[in-house]
Amino acid sequence: MQAEDVKVDLEELKKFKEKNIRERLEFIDFWVEYIKTHSDKEWSKQQNIVIDSQIKD
Amino acid sequence: MEYDERKKEIRLDKELNNLDNFVLEFTTLLEDYVIVSGYVSILLGRSRATEDIDLLIPKMSYNEFEKLWMQFEKNGFECMNTSKIQGAFKMLNEHAIRFFKKGRPIPNIEFKIIKTDLDRYSFEKKIKVTIKNKSFLISPLELQIAYKLFLATEGTDKDLKVDKDIEDARHLYKLFKEKINKDEFLVFINKLNVKKKLKFLE
Repeated sequence: MQAEDVKVDLEELKKFKEKNIRERLEFIDFWVEYIKTHSDKEWSKQQNIVIDSQIKD
Repeated sequence: MEYDERKKEIRLDKELNNLDNFVLEFTTLLEDYVIVSGYVSILLGRSRATEDIDLLIPKMSYNEFEKLWMQFEKNGFECMNTSKIQGAFKMLNEHAIRFFKKGRPIPNIEFKIIKTDLDRYSFEKKIKVTIKNKSFLISPLELQIAYKLFLATEGTDKDLKVDKDIEDARHLYKLFKEKINKDEFLVFINKLNVKKKLKFLE
C-alpha cells in the first residue's frame, strides 16, 4: 500500500484520542489509589521500573 | 507517605531511583534551594521520568557562585551552556543554566535564580520531603498544582486536550486533596487564571 492509498477517518481518530485521554486520566486515579493503599516501598518499586529503565545509574 | 502540613514536611519510605539519586548528588552541594515543576510530582510517586529538574536558588554574589562552581566541577558536574565561570554567572542573571554529569546530558538540572513573586513564594513556603536520612526541598503543593494547570495546553470540552502537566496536577491533587490548603489553592487558581481547567482535577 502506498501512502496515498491510506484512508484516514479523522472523526474516528478524534474519538480514539478522546478515549485515550480519558483512559490516561483514569490511570492517574488508579495509580494514586495504589499509592494510598500500598506501602511506599511497594509503589516505589513499581515506579522505579519506569524511571530506572530510562535514567541509567 | 505522610504529610504534616503544619510542619511542612512529607515523610516517605520509598526506594530511591536513579533520578532521585542524581538530584540528591546535586542538591547536597547547595545551601538552600527549592525544586519546582515536574520532578515534584515524580518524587511524590508519579509514574514517569523526566530529562530535567527545575531548581530555584537565591541570588548570589560572584564569589559565592565561583565556590559553588568549583564544587560542581569537583563532583563531576558540567555546565551545558558554557565552561567559563564568568560567562555562566552572567547567563544565570538572565536565564536558567543547565548542569549534568560529565558525558551524560540526561538528566540535567535547570538551575535558575529566584526572580518572580511566584519563585519567592515557592522558596519561602517550601516543603521538606524526607526519605530515610535524605531530604528534598520542594515547592508548596497549592502553588505547584495551580502552576501545572497553567502550564498545560489549552483545551475545551469539545476538543479535550490533556498533557503531562494536567496529569501531574491531577496526581498531586488526588494524592493530597484532603491536606492542601483550599483557600491558598484557590488564590493561585485565580491569579493564574486557570479556573476553567479545574475540571481536569476531579
